[in-house]
Amino acid sequence: MRFFSLKRLGLLAILVIALGLFIFISTHAKAYSPNADGQLNEPAPPNWTLAEIQQSSPQLVITPPPPGEDTCLSCHILGQNKGLWTPLGRWILFGGLGLVFAFGVYRSASTWKTRAPWKPLTNRAFDWFDERYQIAVPLQKILKKPVPRYALHWWYCLGGITAFLFVVQGVTGILLAFYYKPTPDAAYASIQYIENQVYFGSSIRAIHHWCANGMIVVCVAHMLRVFIMGAYKRPRELNWVSGVLLLVLTLVFGFTGYLLPWDQRAFWATTVGSEIAGAIPAIGNLALVYLRVGWNVTGETLSRFYGLHVIVVPLATVAFMGAHFLMVRRQGIAKPL
Amino acid sequence: MSDTEHSQEDSIPFYPDHVRTEFFVVLGVLVIVLIIGIVGLFNPVGTGEPADPLNTPLHVKPEWYFLSLYQILKKIPPMVLGIEGKIVGVVIPILLVGLIFIWPFLDNKPDKSKRAYWIRLAVAIVALITIIALTIWGEVS
Repeated sequence: MRFFSLKRLGLLAILVIALGLFIFISTHAKAYSPNADGQLNEPAPPNWTLAEIQQSSPQLVITPPPPGEDTCLSCHILGQNKGLWTPLGRWILFGGLGLVFAFGVYRSASTWKTRAPWKPLTNRAFDWFDERYQIAVPLQKILKKPVPRYALHWWYCLGGITAFLFVVQGVTGILLAFYYKPTPDAAYASIQYIENQVYFGSSIRAIHHWCANGMIVVCVAHMLRVFIMGAYKRPRELNWVSGVLLLVLTLVFGFTGYLLPWDQRAFWATTVGSEIAGAIPAIGNLALVYLRVGWNVTGETLSRFYGLHVIVVPLATVAFMGAHFLMVRRQGIAKPL
Repeated sequence: MSDTEHSQEDSIPFYPDHVRTEFFVVLGVLVIVLIIGIVGLFNPVGTGEPADPLNTPLHVKPEWYFLSLYQILKKIPPMVLGIEGKIVGVVIPILLVGLIFIWPFLDNKPDKSKRAYWIRLAVAIVALITIIALTIWGEVS
């Protein structure tokens, strides 16, 4: 098998693009730094020269970096030209070429010395681990586990799609959390900042928003499929129970995430929602005070919901999802009628 | 043969066959996600008016997935069988979720008949239509 087969290159390209986008979005917003009046500066005109930009907007004076400061960082991360692509591209290009060169030298020298055929690095890494932890046999068992043919219909994919959408929510959620500020004064403005200033910010927010809705739809569809086919029956009772818990957690995600933009709709939906929780007999008031952190929806509520949304509920979801998957693995996929 | 063991003939190996299928499913979903991202670039989700605790808007609506429950709560009469309607409207959904939660322990007969299948299908469709109808009712009212 050729080392650079089309399949491998395709996978590598997807990985590099995904990683590049993640770094790109998480490192910088658009380069309009506010001037003294708090107004945003116009972006630099394309193909500018130093003299031109000093003439057209004197507030954007390019100063040489202070001594002892990194030249690339002081301009591309901290300075006026907040484009990461130039340094990143150079690092990837020259660093990659250097790695390929070093690898070639090592491979040639090693083949020359040992007079043995070259063994790919991936095999060596695997052998290194196998020698220490004996992973070959269990791994073979995990990978070769037979999956029944009837599980290839599209309706068996719904659970997997839910899990993938959860991963999408995780990645976009991390990117949003880099810029979001969970205080009543700053929350609304930070959402606007994400939508207007952060590169691809509105994309990220749209994906997070619509995939949250999609996740609930697919989750319910998965549950209906399992119910209609009777796949919840003995011995798979606990799988159904953990699945219902996961659906409830998804709804809690929706409820807590809805407050975070801190606009009128969010505020009053949360007010009414926690009021409904307050109507539960016996524990209602406790639930209400716990959710709102007091008797009213305030900044404390926002912090509480943010903590629930980004830490507590994701951890619980990952735990139950792991249990859910392990049970599916152990028991196989239920046979249809 | 037991329900949880699969023979080699009617099955495919998890890797690479099944993983490959799942990978293409993931790629398909990823394409949809990217389309949402591109559309979002030109049509942002946007924000409403900033929150104002002193100014209650006329129509408060929850997200669509809570709308059916909210509609039950809104339309329930103030007194049902001597119990306050609001409490009934809150307790019934909780009991329903509890019922769904413990359902495998109630329906525990290993019934593989076509009849049970059709009954479950009918129950699922009726439940789905009820929820969709309540959601649409809540959306237009």
